[in-house]
Amino acid sequence: MSASKPTQAQIQNPTTHYGNAKASTRRFITQRVTGALNIAFAVFMVWFVVSLAGRAPVEMIELVRNPFVALGLAVMVVNVAIHMRNGMRDTIEDYFDKGEHGLAMLANNAFVLFFLVVALGAIAKIVFWG
Amino acid sequence: MAPSTRPLSPHLSIYRFTLTMTMSIVHRATGIALYGGTLLLVLWLVAAAFGGGFFDFVAWLFGTWFGQLVLFGYTWVLFHHMLGGVRHFIWDFTKGMDATGRELLVRLQLGASILLTLVVWSIFVWFK
Repeated sequence: MSASKPTQAQIQNPTTHYGNAKASTRRFITQRVTGALNIAFAVFMVWFVVSLAGRAPVEMIELVRNPFVALGLAVMVVNVAIHMRNGMRDTIEDYFDKGEHGLAMLANNAFVLFFLVVALGAIAKIVFWG
Repeated sequence: MAPSTRPLSPHLSIYRFTLTMTMSIVHRATGIALYGGTLLLVLWLVAAAFGGGFFDFVAWLFGTWFGQLVLFGYTWVLFHHMLGGVRHFIWDFTKGMDATGRELLVRLQLGASILLTLVVWSIFVWFK
């Protein structure tokens, strides 16, 4: 992130450049790539939920233990984590200034990390320990 | 006013709501809903991993009328946000950016997300 603060005149003039152009472009592309993958995962998720709705836990464990399903779920969790963190950063940037921004991003990272660890942990438990 | 590091979003109430603007807000709102809603997936996976009474409780919770309402809403939110992303892909190629094009895109998006939700729930829940 750029250290120098833009002046009010710079902000008002659309021809000036400030902020981190490289990181912003990278985040733009990341959001598109993970988003496109999520279309496939949405179909996967519908199939997954539908084949399990109202079934006994044994049947769910049996399905998740299939290596293709487990791998699909794990990759989906990682992809979703990247997409949701990036999207929430976008929201945070619109409503919080520097300072508050850092705190909000800390909360964002904590939530995404919690989701990532618990979801992957649960999948690993099902696959390796039943 | 002291210069800020980057301009913040002005207060919503000063604008007259237009269709594309509303759908832009809805895209963000559905994104935030999906963000929080990942906890539903976590709850389900953890319940399956540890089994027993906890799984029965989660299965019961998702099966109540309120649970079903949340899951139905979550389905629409997922499809609507997904199609909103597709709309952004179309805009990335500078297609459909004129007044008629963009209005048509958001109308199609809303119609398709509702239709898709109803079709999925009809086939897999209501009339299976």
